[in-house]
Amino acid sequence: MSGVRAVRISIESACEKQVQEVGLDGTETYLQPLSMSQNLARLAQRIDFSQGSGSEEEEAAGPEGDAQDWAGAGSSADQDDEEGLVKFQPSLWPWDSVRNNLRSALTEMCVLYDVLSIVRDKKFMTLDPVSQDAVPPKQNPQTLQLISKKKSLAGAAQILLKGAERLTKSVTENQENKLQRDFNSELLRLRQHWKLRKVGDKILGDLSYRSAGSLFPHHGTFEVIKNTDIDLDKKIPEDYCPLDVQIPSDLEGSAYIKVSIQKQAPDIGDLGTVNLFKRPLPKSKPGSPHWQTKLEAAQNVLLCKEIFAQLSREAVQFKSQIPHIVVKNQIISQPFPSLQLSISLCHSSNDKKSQKSATEKQSPEDHLYVLEHNLHLLMREFHKQTLSSITMPHPASAPFGHKRMRLSGPQAFDKNEINSLQSSEGLLEKIIKQAKHIFLRSRTAATIDSLASRIEDPQIQAHWSNINDVYESSVKVLITSQGYEQICKWAWIAISFPLRTTFAASHVSWSIQLQLNIGVEQIRVVHRDGRVITLSHQEQELQDFLLSQMSQHQVHAVQQLAKVMGWQVLSFSNHVGLGPIESIGNASAITVASPNGDYAISVRNGPESGSKIMVQFPRNQCKDLPKSDVLQDSKWNHLRGPFREVQWNKMEGRNFVYKMELLMSALSPCLL
Amino acid sequence: MGVTCVSQMPVAEGKSVQQTVELLTRKLEMLGAEKQGTFCVDCETYHTASSTLGSQGQAGKLMYVMHNSEYPLSCFALFENGPCLIADTNFDVLMVKLKGFFQSAKASKIETRGTRYQYCDFLVKVGTVTMGPSARGISVEVEYGPCVVPSDCWSLLLEFLQSFLGSHTPGAPAVFGNRHDAVYGPADTVVQYMELFNKIRKQQQVPVAGIR
Repeated sequence: MSGVRAVRISIESACEKQVQEVGLDGTETYLQPLSMSQNLARLAQRIDFSQGSGSEEEEAAGPEGDAQDWAGAGSSADQDDEEGLVKFQPSLWPWDSVRNNLRSALTEMCVLYDVLSIVRDKKFMTLDPVSQDAVPPKQNPQTLQLISKKKSLAGAAQILLKGAERLTKSVTENQENKLQRDFNSELLRLRQHWKLRKVGDKILGDLSYRSAGSLFPHHGTFEVIKNTDIDLDKKIPEDYCPLDVQIPSDLEGSAYIKVSIQKQAPDIGDLGTVNLFKRPLPKSKPGSPHWQTKLEAAQNVLLCKEIFAQLSREAVQFKSQIPHIVVKNQIISQPFPSLQLSISLCHSSNDKKSQKSATEKQSPEDHLYVLEHNLHLLMREFHKQTLSSITMPHPASAPFGHKRMRLSGPQAFDKNEINSLQSSEGLLEKIIKQAKHIFLRSRTAATIDSLASRIEDPQIQAHWSNINDVYESSVKVLITSQGYEQICKWAWIAISFPLRTTFAASHVSWSIQLQLNIGVEQIRVVHRDGRVITLSHQEQELQDFLLSQMSQHQVHAVQQLAKVMGWQVLSFSNHVGLGPIESIGNASAITVASPNGDYAISVRNGPESGSKIMVQFPRNQCKDLPKSDVLQDSKWNHLRGPFREVQWNKMEGRNFVYKMELLMSALSPCLL
Repeated sequence: MGVTCVSQMPVAEGKSVQQTVELLTRKLEMLGAEKQGTFCVDCETYHTASSTLGSQGQAGKLMYVMHNSEYPLSCFALFENGPCLIADTNFDVLMVKLKGFFQSAKASKIETRGTRYQYCDFLVKVGTVTMGPSARGISVEVEYGPCVVPSDCWSLLLEFLQSFLGSHTPGAPAVFGNRHDAVYGPADTVVQYMELFNKIRKQQQVPVAGIR
């Protein structure tokens, strides 16, 4: 065994002392290990001193035998080192036996290792299995797999079947209680549009505008009822709905507010008998259920009632110059004299009776849809004011109201300042102002259009502005002569090569431009030359003004034409004091002289009297002049002399300015 | 808000308060003023509670809470020579809560009520000062609307006052005295009323006009 590496072995002795006794509290008292002398004493006790020499030998053999036991292990262990040594050896050290045992164990292990390495080679030694008894014929592994798969599949199928059973149960339940389920889903749909609450066993809803800021005292509650009058055996009709709403009786039917303007005042007996024009119900969206249309119509009725209540309250409370008349469902007021504005609430219920009687229909043309729409908007604006962001959020200690009102206390506002903060105009006032403006605007348009169609010579063009206010509109009126709209007095068109700049031409047009601002009660005219004239609502004033402007235009046109033709303007007056007095405006006149001074044209144009044109000839062309001795020289005969009137209606030319141009060109001879 | 002058009109000899007021109003109407409703200025007195005085034993300060119908949403609180607070009408409610600190003086409510006349730019208010059931005097207030600086219009006011008060025209109010060029405000009017009420409170009986 030389060449085998030494194997390190760690040894730990148990070194446990024997327990002598265990105390009552668990402490253990150990036997003290025998000391050397005690050990010797013990050993000595084993010696049998009674035996003689044999016993001595035996004694010697005894302890020797003992020693041999110990030494044998040691000698077998240190075989190579102790060859030739005496066999008996006294025990060297207490670990001897341990060493010997370990030595033998090591030997065994080495043998085992050698055997295994040889067996592994399989050259010289092999391992043979021990023949066993025949195993009982075991099943094919495939079938085993099949069976196990089947079992697991059966388990899964069981779970799935259980679930499917549940589903089929619920589906059958669904079909059985189909009606019950529909009611709930309809109720859900209803809830998405309207506010519902449960009171006891009833479901009530709210269709008033109270949550949107209205202060109308109507409760606006509707009830949701289940439609149970259905026979399950019969076929369910197409439009069947399991849910029905019951609206308050005074909100049934449909309503609208009719705003109309009439020219002549009707008889007193006719008041309050506004025929209800049954307006066709607004088409509901195709997918909306019938309760939606019903509720919307009821809400509309409520809003119309609120608007009418507010209007009638204001009509009675606030004083105006001409008092408003409130009769039954109609409010009548007079914005302008001989003009009547009537606002009426037309509420038609859905009874069969009234449907039959509503055959006679008033013409809906005088109904101003715009004002009705504006009324709705104004009411909603009023609602919003109570919930506006000006009022919320606000300090907990302050009352609701405009923010500046909170300052009125600490800053000691007096009554004037407080009144200016609070909006003082009511709904009725606003709508009357709007109606006035609409009426004034339509009448102005009619006046201008009638003038334009009647008079051809100076043309009137009206350009209405697209963007208007409820209380103000504007229109630009141009008076021009056809064919002479623009003439460039002086035009600069300069193109410089490096920069390619173009100076625009500046025109001096022959038109008169008037900007009319139509307000609520007045029309303000801004003239091109800067004058501002305020006209009242009378249409005659506007007509007269436009006519006078047209006549002035003709004379202005002659002035411009003279500049172009080279004629000299001798005199020009917008308002002459000579001649017959005009009833509308003033006549204007101009005198122009030809370039060589031979002839002069004098024009007088008035709105009523029309135009009068006279031409002044040189004296030597008039044959019927009386000869007199005053003129000594014949050169005086070249001066201009008497005037002769031109028969203007026989003159060639399609309009005044054209005729004038022809006359001027006829009177200025060619130089060549 | 214009410059205002508050003064007291002594009762005419041999006449009651009501008759003197009637005389005045008739004069005003003859002058051409138009009646424009009524007015009311009232004053309540509070004094600081003794519990907050401390050991020094100083006399409690008097606080006046006044309302003026000219400024209907405001409430004025002022000390005698001290600051004047202009507040919301919720201040009255606050005073109830401050009962521990401010106690209402007994029988202290004094007010003046009367008619309001408008004469072009002048606003004249003639009122009867009453304390409880008894009428104690007559207050006359004249406001010149367009101007807010006292020194600029005092002479005009004086002239106007002379025209209908005659010999009973007052001198320049004390509030004008310190700051002639400062802007006049509603607080100054209220201070004038407070001084007037104090003066009237001190007088035991209705004063009689006389050449004194």
